[in-house]
Amino acid sequence: MTHDLLGMRNIGISAHIDSGKTTLSERILYYCNKIHAIHEVRGKDGVGATMDSMELERERGITIASAATNVMWKGHEINVIDTPGHVDFTIEVERSLRVLDGAILVLCSVGGVQSQSITVDRQMKRYHVPRIAFVNKCDRTGANPYRVKDQLIEKLGLNAVMMEIPIGLEDKLEGVVDLVNMKALYFDAGPSGDGVREEEIPAHLLDEATEKREELLDAVSMCSGNDALMEAMLEENVPVELLKECIRRATINLELCPVFMGSAYKNKGIQPLLDGVIDYLPNPTDVENRGLDLDNNEKEVVLESREDAKPVVLAFKLEDGQYGQLTYIRVYQGRIKKGDTLYNTRSKKKFLVGRLVKMHASTMEDISEAGCGEIAALFGIDCASGDTFCDPSLNYSMTSMFVPNPVISLAITPVDKKAADNMAKALNRFTKEDPTFQTYVDPESNQTIIKGMGELHLDVYIERMKREYKAEVTVGQPEVAYREAISQRADFNYTHKKQTGGSGQYARVAGYIEPTVSENPDEPAPDYVFVDEVKGGAIPTEYIPSCDKGFQTAVKKGSQLGFPVIGVKVCVNDGAWHPVDSSDMAFQTAALNAFREAYEKAKPVILEPIMKVEVEGPSEFQGNIFGSINQRRGMIISSTEDNNQCTVIAEVPLAEMFGYSTVLRSLTQGKAEFTMEVAKYGRVPMGVAEELKKKYEEKKKNQK
Amino acid sequence: MDLKQLNSVSPLRVFEDSINGGLGKGNLGVIVSKKGVGKTACLVHIATDKLFKGEHVIHVSFSGNVEHVINWYKEVYREIVDNNSLDDANEVYEQILSNRVVMNFSQEQVAIEKVLASLEALISHGAFSADAVLFDGFKLTIASEDDIAKIKEFAKRMNIEVWFAVSPVRPDVVFDEYGVPNTLEKYFPLIDVLVALKFNEKADKVNMTVVRAHGENVPKPAKVALNPKTMLIAEHN
Repeated sequence: MTHDLLGMRNIGISAHIDSGKTTLSERILYYCNKIHAIHEVRGKDGVGATMDSMELERERGITIASAATNVMWKGHEINVIDTPGHVDFTIEVERSLRVLDGAILVLCSVGGVQSQSITVDRQMKRYHVPRIAFVNKCDRTGANPYRVKDQLIEKLGLNAVMMEIPIGLEDKLEGVVDLVNMKALYFDAGPSGDGVREEEIPAHLLDEATEKREELLDAVSMCSGNDALMEAMLEENVPVELLKECIRRATINLELCPVFMGSAYKNKGIQPLLDGVIDYLPNPTDVENRGLDLDNNEKEVVLESREDAKPVVLAFKLEDGQYGQLTYIRVYQGRIKKGDTLYNTRSKKKFLVGRLVKMHASTMEDISEAGCGEIAALFGIDCASGDTFCDPSLNYSMTSMFVPNPVISLAITPVDKKAADNMAKALNRFTKEDPTFQTYVDPESNQTIIKGMGELHLDVYIERMKREYKAEVTVGQPEVAYREAISQRADFNYTHKKQTGGSGQYARVAGYIEPTVSENPDEPAPDYVFVDEVKGGAIPTEYIPSCDKGFQTAVKKGSQLGFPVIGVKVCVNDGAWHPVDSSDMAFQTAALNAFREAYEKAKPVILEPIMKVEVEGPSEFQGNIFGSINQRRGMIISSTEDNNQCTVIAEVPLAEMFGYSTVLRSLTQGKAEFTMEVAKYGRVPMGVAEELKKKYEEKKKNQK
Repeated sequence: MDLKQLNSVSPLRVFEDSINGGLGKGNLGVIVSKKGVGKTACLVHIATDKLFKGEHVIHVSFSGNVEHVINWYKEVYREIVDNNSLDDANEVYEQILSNRVVMNFSQEQVAIEKVLASLEALISHGAFSADAVLFDGFKLTIASEDDIAKIKEFAKRMNIEVWFAVSPVRPDVVFDEYGVPNTLEKYFPLIDVLVALKFNEKADKVNMTVVRAHGENVPKPAKVALNPKTMLIAEHN
């Protein structure tokens, strides 16, 4: 086992759906001798791709959970995280990006930069992940890697440069020209392109290769710290090593995005991509990682990638397999060994490192220690994903990860007693693994409600409950997570009084509520703001937090639909108290009722999640796509046409999007597809709001 | 101020006055200038003014980047709102957004029939009752007269106003004193309103000249000019 930090790479592979991430991962495993035969994602051999280890994943041909796996390439250790492409599983992507040092952005040579590529790129920017691009599927009809490179520049604002040019395209794809070494590479040796044949550049491509190499040199020399390259260019003698070093520096500084190309399915262009990973993506010491020192007011501390430093480890993913709970970890500082004691800074509990393993998709390998920068897994640790483990003398937390709120919920009812037990087990596991999947029991209907990021997200969990836990459930209608809000200022002045023998209750709170305003128009207004403007001790300071608490309870459930009220500023400016009868409880109750009183006067409205929907399909169906969005209260923002493909971007209420995939399929003969993500909360039109309120009233009545 | 006030004091009222009461539905209007003088800002200002009046507009671009166009609108909107301290600015923005669609064609030479078919699909299938269509970056100076006639026919049939922002493509064009390229002359019979922009270095502003207005061929300076800082249409100070 090597613990050569400089040689190690932690990389992720992310992309739009169906760009061929899993196919690519499969090739990487094969060429690194981790597997000895290639299985296709929806292959006829029925084995399925190695990275898609869950039965369900193989069946649907999509990757759900990101599996971590470890390979060796030319003496370098590469940890590969296969990330899911569907937007409903964004949290998985976000989490794996957090632990990566670099990434391969896979793009389809025909589809180019698609909506998910943009989302994924945004996430990579958030975590400052250096990336190289791989233009896949160059064997497909309509393949155009040059156009994809231009889109990387235009749509993602990346400084993309071609590292290769294709030798032939579409069904004539033979290989690539490596612009750094100026060699032609062919992948026709062995049954699966195992050997790379290096040749001189074919004469008809020489001019183009020279031109593109010039472009590459120009772009790289413009990046910071590359003056030596500029000089070498003037002398017209650029050593390959110098060029590589400069590309590497620029890539790690996020100033450059090298573009590779090929076809994973046809086994073309993978080996040079792997070389690119080693040559241009950072090793764990190239990247600065920061933690928060909990003992020192969450001050940022830079972690040291040294083996002899005290260990700091992040648990980024949990999995409850047949052998018990498996916790995926990344070591950021120091090294951990079997038998070490670590401290979980969230739960404040110490634990012993038991079995330590390295994962290879669904099989594993026991190891005795894990060094800095490594990705491994621990057995039998009780924790949640996102927890930080440290040496007991430290109290660090890795930066908290961004977790979006769920937007859709549905009720599930187990069919019998046994299913109920199994369902509880399944839900317990799923919620630990995935923070965007939440569950609770509705106290009014006594039903179990699951919440998530979209229909498919919940669908997958229901399927998994059935398959892995044998929990049969009946599923209710999906429901949208509405919000309530106020549209104008309203005053309150409420006195809570109760005198029924003994010590009574007395509290008066007065003030107003009004909509919060966002300071920056690009950010949403804050959900809740409490302002204390009480003068002259009308309410004693000790009861101010009680008022705050009472209002916070009130905004959890609005009176229109029973959903949380957001965007409220509460200002308390007057009140009254009684030396004997006032209490924490009394002020809380007064605040709660004061809010209800003011809420009705503040012209309350209902908000709904609005999705940013992107539909892609052949131009001939453009009219149908427009029509389908129009029927769903949608607002078309833009429409782009290119090569007889059209992309329509629209904002549509989530409530109208149920079953859209079926409708879209039948409208376009199955030739269009769509993706969506939450854009914002928007006001529900009057007519629809009335409907919703009526239904809510009826539901309440039926439950009584 | 509220939206009504904003509309009444808008310099666009003066602009409309300059071109004999606005362009009017079924007509073609052209804003022409050299590159980089400010025709896109000018076009977006005209569109934003229509949005303020509750009209529906389609912005057609050939740039390949929708975000870019959307940012233009954002900036122009913010500029107008800040200058006039409009009430409920964020809310108004949300409202007017739903009346604007950006249509983008990435191909260099997409056939005009294709563009018109897409527009019609949006208007009829998408139930988007457009009042105006604004073409930015359309290569009018090298389009065939037939193409322009088709657009004109479309404008009449759909009852919409059509604006173009045009810069000449060929390097050998000759501009007249107002900034009109000679390559545009052959389309004069089809153009209802022609406004030329020309940067005046001495005064550090962009002059607007009404070259044609509804058949009238009397070049006269418009009563407005472009503010050199914001590139928006403004009254002379």
